[in-house]
Amino acid sequence: MIQAPKTGLGPTYPPYDCLWHLVTMGVLTPDHRPNDWVPQAANPAPARVAMIDTSVAYDHPNLKGAINKDLALDLFSARLGSFPGLEAAAVLGDLWLGDSSAVVSGLPHSASLLAELTARLSVGRPARYNGIAPATSQVFSSHGTAMAGLIGARPVTIPADQSLTATDLGLLTLPYCGVDPMSEIVPISTNFDSDPEALILAFLYADLIGADVIALPRVIPDPFRTVPELSSFLMDDGAGRSLTEAISHCPISAVERELWDELLELIVRISLRRPIVCAAGNANEEYGVYPANFASDENGIIAVGAVNAKGWNCSYSPTRNLTVWAPSTDAERVDRAEVRQDVRRHDYDSETAPEPNNNERFSYFDLIATDVPGTGGYATSPFPGPNPPPDNPMREFGSYYCRFGGTSGASALVAGFVSLAHNTGRLSRSCGGIEAKAWLLASSVALGADRGTMVMPVFSGTPSFPDQT
Amino acid sequence: MVDFSLLQSHRFLVTETSLLLEHAGDEALGPMPNPAAAAAAGASLFALNRNRNRNRNRNRNRNRNRNRNRNRNMADGAGPDLSILDPWEERDALHKLRAEWINLPVPLPPTMDQLRQESIDLLEKQVLRGLPEGAMRRDEILIEAQLELSGYLRPFGIETHGGYDATIALMLTILALTEEIGMRYKSRWEVPRPNQVEPRLRPFIPNPAHASYPSNHSFQSFTIAFMFSRLLPEHPGSMMLFRSARRIAQNREWAGVHYASDTQCGYALARMVTPVLERVLEKNMIAAQAEWF
Repeated sequence: MIQAPKTGLGPTYPPYDCLWHLVTMGVLTPDHRPNDWVPQAANPAPARVAMIDTSVAYDHPNLKGAINKDLALDLFSARLGSFPGLEAAAVLGDLWLGDSSAVVSGLPHSASLLAELTARLSVGRPARYNGIAPATSQVFSSHGTAMAGLIGARPVTIPADQSLTATDLGLLTLPYCGVDPMSEIVPISTNFDSDPEALILAFLYADLIGADVIALPRVIPDPFRTVPELSSFLMDDGAGRSLTEAISHCPISAVERELWDELLELIVRISLRRPIVCAAGNANEEYGVYPANFASDENGIIAVGAVNAKGWNCSYSPTRNLTVWAPSTDAERVDRAEVRQDVRRHDYDSETAPEPNNNERFSYFDLIATDVPGTGGYATSPFPGPNPPPDNPMREFGSYYCRFGGTSGASALVAGFVSLAHNTGRLSRSCGGIEAKAWLLASSVALGADRGTMVMPVFSGTPSFPDQT
Repeated sequence: MVDFSLLQSHRFLVTETSLLLEHAGDEALGPMPNPAAAAAAGASLFALNRNRNRNRNRNRNRNRNRNRNRNRNMADGAGPDLSILDPWEERDALHKLRAEWINLPVPLPPTMDQLRQESIDLLEKQVLRGLPEGAMRRDEILIEAQLELSGYLRPFGIETHGGYDATIALMLTILALTEEIGMRYKSRWEVPRPNQVEPRLRPFIPNPAHASYPSNHSFQSFTIAFMFSRLLPEHPGSMMLFRSARRIAQNREWAGVHYASDTQCGYALARMVTPVLERVLEKNMIAAQAEWF
């Protein structure tokens, strides 16, 4: 049992294990040993997680070895992508791309984009498309860095300033770990314009590189599929326009509409080849945000909701109509469906607190993730970063981690979970998305009759929820 | 090979205020024995706070907004003070990276014949602009002809909300730097304004006294959108900002002062210049982030 340092007052929020979520999901034992699985020795071809998100702070010490810098592709600034992990003047080697022609069959725009992309990725082509630099400053890579750490961070011991270390050796251990520390993560970064072309390219690239699982911790801003969908609402203006088009800032071209339609078809088809793990949204969307809301028995899309450290749904996550739920940070909620407040918050207002409530369901446990070291990121430091040793020994570790949450965090855990299954032989590397999803569901445990249809993946043993407060 | 023993010999404990590193001594896990190591936990004290205090780093943005009473002015309906000191440091940093932005691969401008073809669309917009349904367009065009941020602030819900000085200052600094960059591209090609090519066009506002291609309204608005895609990708407003930027850019076509190709070139330039500007404006972006995280 871990004991917190004693103070005269005693903590309002008792301390807890930073890796509680891995214990909850049966990945680690409470003393942080692999829970009934054997870590593989160095694997030349570990399971590959393609992560369509922001860029990543590659130099984070816990991400060393986790990121495939040769394959990381940035579609933010360059239409057909630049490689942030390669030198500006580098040329591409053989990327060992697969064949994606089947997934674009009958999709003319996607087929054309695939032809452009494969030509652009051929041997000898420049790392920077048209000489354009990637928009991947590590300083502004918070979300992707947190995601990558939850999926595949590795515990490490590194040189550090001696004031930080317990010994005179100048070595500091950072005991942080992702769900699958044997995985290989390929960041595919995009901007957040509502641009179907960039997302088609991102999914095609994930397919070309043969990802074992695709992580999508974001909504796709398809104007026709944004929840709630408006296309069936017609304006009573004589013209009978759909509300979707009537409210658009700018006219939506026929080509753009075709691209959005193709993107959905492409996502579904790619999900049959490799599971696509989607965050379901952080605002109680009944079936999840797009494209999580397209998860069905007929495809490999996995919609992930969030469960807190007490085993209840996080207040922003519904208890039904998603595929699985995974641990994440809870949030307060006050509306007609539920009142759930943190009664220990220093400014909690008991005078106006609504009754009845579900305050006992609130958990203060946060999902801790890796963060951009130094001045940037969710957690900041006065020291510049990233400052990888040994050139510049680290002087603090606080800014290297952050509180993270939402269904993004939960989806990262599920993506890592599937990767771990691949790397430990529980799931065949050749399986498709439906098979992977079936395995995931078979490995999941129902959280109780009073908790809707919530199920949580558990690698070994029974789930344990550590917040007993 | 992953060394799992490190997870057993060491452990991070999440306390109310920090991340505490423990390691196994002779007995159970406990705080690190080296007194100086306690500083490690201390260092993380503020890093792991819940960052709910948006005032934390406001003074980082010193000297940016001259009017320190902006909030009061906004309550009076006067809107934010949009004056900033000239961003000389940022210009200096930008000029040091000149080679990285001076010749980005934007498409060459259209031919005169292509411009005449594009003008047909502008003539149609001119007619629609004059209809009663065009009233909102007309209002927007007049507002957007001035230095005005509502199109960028509204997606984030901070149009009439104090406490976002660094965010607003960042937008203004982006506008200043991109104006300079855009002028250089415009002067390279000297593309005439639409009504100089198609005299039947009657611009709704005066033609700005510089060339047409690329549209600086498009370039500047989309640069703000792309930069906020780096700054706050989690915020739904970042996606909405692109739609708002696109509307602002297209309103210049509705006004008859820009071709669609000007708008497209502005978008392309904004997308490609973002990697440069995220380095030039790193401190400004971190200061703005501190108002949100």
